[in-house]
Amino acid sequence: MSPAPALTVEDLTVEIDGASVVDGVSFAVGAGEVVALVGESGCGKSMTALALLGLLPDAAQIVRGRIVLDGVDLVALPERAMQRVRGSQLSIIFQEATASLDPLTTVGSQVSEAYALHHSVSRSTAWGKAKEMLTAVGIPDPELRLNQYPFELSGGMCQRVMIAMALICGPRVLVADEPTTALDVTIQAQILELMKRLVADRGTGIVLITHDMGVVADAADRVAVMYAGRIAEIAPVDELFARPRHAYTALLLAAMPSLDHEPKQALAMIEGKVPAAVDFGEGCRFAARCPIASDRCRNQQPPLLESGPGHRAACWHADRVAGLIGSIA
Amino acid sequence: MTKPDPVLEVRDVTVHFKMRGGWLGEGGQTIKAVDGVDLAIGSGETLGLVGESGCGKSTISNAIVGLVPTTRGSIRVRGQEIVGASGKALRAARRHVQMVFQNPALSLNPRATIGAAIAEPLAVRGIASGPALREQVGTLLTQVGLRAEDARRYPHQFSGGQRQRIVIARALALKPALVVCDEPVSALDVSVRAQILNLLIDLQRRLGVSYLFVSHDLSVIRHISDQVAVMYLGRIIEHASRSVLFAAPKHPYTKALMSAVPEANPAAQRAKRRMVLSGELPSPANVPAGCAFHTRCPLASEICRRERPTLTPRQDGALVACHHA
Repeated sequence: MSPAPALTVEDLTVEIDGASVVDGVSFAVGAGEVVALVGESGCGKSMTALALLGLLPDAAQIVRGRIVLDGVDLVALPERAMQRVRGSQLSIIFQEATASLDPLTTVGSQVSEAYALHHSVSRSTAWGKAKEMLTAVGIPDPELRLNQYPFELSGGMCQRVMIAMALICGPRVLVADEPTTALDVTIQAQILELMKRLVADRGTGIVLITHDMGVVADAADRVAVMYAGRIAEIAPVDELFARPRHAYTALLLAAMPSLDHEPKQALAMIEGKVPAAVDFGEGCRFAARCPIASDRCRNQQPPLLESGPGHRAACWHADRVAGLIGSIA
Repeated sequence: MTKPDPVLEVRDVTVHFKMRGGWLGEGGQTIKAVDGVDLAIGSGETLGLVGESGCGKSTISNAIVGLVPTTRGSIRVRGQEIVGASGKALRAARRHVQMVFQNPALSLNPRATIGAAIAEPLAVRGIASGPALREQVGTLLTQVGLRAEDARRYPHQFSGGQRQRIVIARALALKPALVVCDEPVSALDVSVRAQILNLLIDLQRRLGVSYLFVSHDLSVIRHISDQVAVMYLGRIIEHASRSVLFAAPKHPYTKALMSAVPEANPAAQRAKRRMVLSGELPSPANVPAGCAFHTRCPLASEICRRERPTLTPRQDGALVACHHA
């Protein structure tokens, strides 16, 4: 990791009605680095994304923690100041690109507006910048596209427009919330390639929110696996897939049909379901479903402990996870 | 691919939708959702049907269960023709084909207990009633990993994975020969997906049921299928046994699809030479002439723009529709 990360999240805790849906989440994103937050429905990954941008729904509140972008704590920032940050230094793209665009406004005015909002420039300068940006995200015939409406573009094309809009001000960090989930795989491949190239060329850091371990393996440098609002494990991508140190990560990987899995042979199962936020309790939140849980796990929340270079896992029995994989494979 | 005694035999099935045109509805476009598809599924076998949005995979599965009228072609279930059949013959044939959809929440009546949902097909056909019916419902529930007592509960009291189990139990109630599964695990989380895949495979082993398994997810298709058909814009472009297809994909589209799917293995993923297709999927309302894939194909030549390739057998038994593969 570079000495001064672009974005540092410390102990971020978000509550809805007193239940911590995001609990003590800490991670950092360096310039040009892709950090994935991966997990299943309800793990808090999207809440984390919204919290970073200051876009949480009214019922949810940040009760603790800091979100430091370029030395400024965004949590303490008033809304007006946050508006200047959003879209210029920190931006976001969502899963449904078509729903994120205004259907009644041309692509050109939406993309150029994103630039004009943060720069005092003429309309034509902003328009020119928008055209430049559409070219950068690989949209053929940008001149034509600028004058079209979102319905005239395919889903993949709309996601490219969203990326152009999000990057037009050259943000330090882009939060991408399931950016390819609604797309077909051949289009997903195009968008992932584009994102990787833009990161390398521009040095933008990316927080990649996804449920798809394949997307993680393809695009991420580091990975944080989330479970029930907490980070279960965080590690460099190769390390995480090769040596998971949290039982949840190991089971999740074994539950996916993969190329080295014998067809029709039983996949690993995770019994039970994610506890509701009101039932989190004192212990490890995965304990009730964990095959190696002990009394300690049920009573005491494990902290994220170092288990290798850059590798931390919140598991009291991290040393037994390798054995668990052996028994299910 | 012909089978000695197929559970399902689909020949030249074509489904065209007429779009309403402008003035007086004239001159509307025709969407060729499915165009001349042949399929066969043997007893206890799984045929995986894979493709991207708009390739026609859901339309063909809907046509097989009779939810969409066919424009042309024949669909035989255990030798019984269902296209054009009516009355008793159709009713008898339909018993052998059941369906499981992607979204289990939308497949269940929220106001009916799950017991009532599972009992309905049995009651409608007069197979069981009273205590015998209750007992059969209980057996079906335990078969899919739920409890007989759950029959009294309502759909909202179950999780997404459990609801999909309920839908599977209902599909199995009439002991069908074939269950058409249209993206049955696509809306589920990874851990739940594994449970449902394990259940489907286990049920097949125990009951000998056949599956037509429709999915956009190649890793799931590879896991569950014996045979695999790849569709592109309404046509099958490659059809082979699972082992042949995954070991030696031949059609450039199949290859592109495989290289596009990110594997959950960072090192393998980096080593992979990704074949990123340029361009977008054409609309099924405007299928390119010749080979439908030529607009995105790296191998496309003059003949591909002119002449539509037919499925032809290769040495290893694969059927491929490509001039250059």
